Amino acid sequence: MSALAEKQEAGVAVVTGGTRGIGAAIADALRADGWTVVTIGRTSGDVQADVGSPEDVARAVEEIHEKFGKVLVLVNNAGITRDGLALRMTDSDWGDVVDTNLSGAFGFTRGVMGDMLRARWGRIVNVSSIVATRAQAGQANYIASKAGLLGLTGALAKEIGKRGVTVNAITPGFIETDMTAELDTDKLVEFIPAGRVGKPEEVAAAVRFLCSAEAGYINGATLSVDGGMGA
Amino acid sequence: MADLTEEGVLQRVRDELEAIKVPGAENAELDTTWEELDVDSLDLVELIKALEDEYQIVISDDELKPVETVGDAVKLTLKLAGTTA
Repeated sequence: MSALAEKQEAGVAVVTGGTRGIGAAIADALRADGWTVVTIGRTSGDVQADVGSPEDVARAVEEIHEKFGKVLVLVNNAGITRDGLALRMTDSDWGDVVDTNLSGAFGFTRGVMGDMLRARWGRIVNVSSIVATRAQAGQANYIASKAGLLGLTGALAKEIGKRGVTVNAITPGFIETDMTAELDTDKLVEFIPAGRVGKPEEVAAAVRFLCSAEAGYINGATLSVDGGMGA
Repeated sequence: MADLTEEGVLQRVRDELEAIKVPGAENAELDTTWEELDVDSLDLVELIKALEDEYQIVISDDELKPVETVGDAVKLTLKLAGTTA
């Protein structure tokens, strides 16, 4: 049995926001690699939870452990936007985005990292965004949350790297999803060396690699999947 | 809940240290220090969390500071769980 197959026998992969867009593609890619994938969605998915609610996250973690067992791969992908200029941004628009995108990732990570520590093996991938390092107007909440994920990634890599658990981030650029459907793609493409927006599957391929056995020495890294936009 | 006696909690600590793969965990005695077991801060946090869950207690950072041996952890657990050994 391969090293990865042994892990796949011992635990499952959890993908938050795994029912749509990039998350669904990540779930498919991990399944193709042999993982049993547990998707977390607000109203669909294998386990339902509002990732922005600490109580919901705690309950979801419990449900995952009861129904599916130990978690050896966690992809913190759930994310929402509530765009607007900071001057008019309400506390709830700020809070909802930070709670879901950043605090939710922390809650899931804290809930399942014990499984990985004991297995002396684990993979955590935080789905950040190109805007974490290349800010733009109108998304203070989203950008702060996604930049926070990069900080969280580094801190966790330092804390648990000695146990064979890696924590990495990916920063997708503009990817074809519901979240970017309303954007003017023709205008955007001017700034993307690849000359096109990305596909969810292209982000998923990067996540799959970071979750593989071969990626064991990559820890605390940020991998851009943006067609060269952030270069 | 595991046996709430000195021997019971000691065994629980050994089992827990073994679960987090601390070498020599099965031979740990009350006077064994974390240093002797090569238990690092992450190991200790895992152990404490497991004891909190098992005995339904809360161990504060202040209470944790002076805990340097297996016996210190056992005594603290018994104290917080409302039993004196």
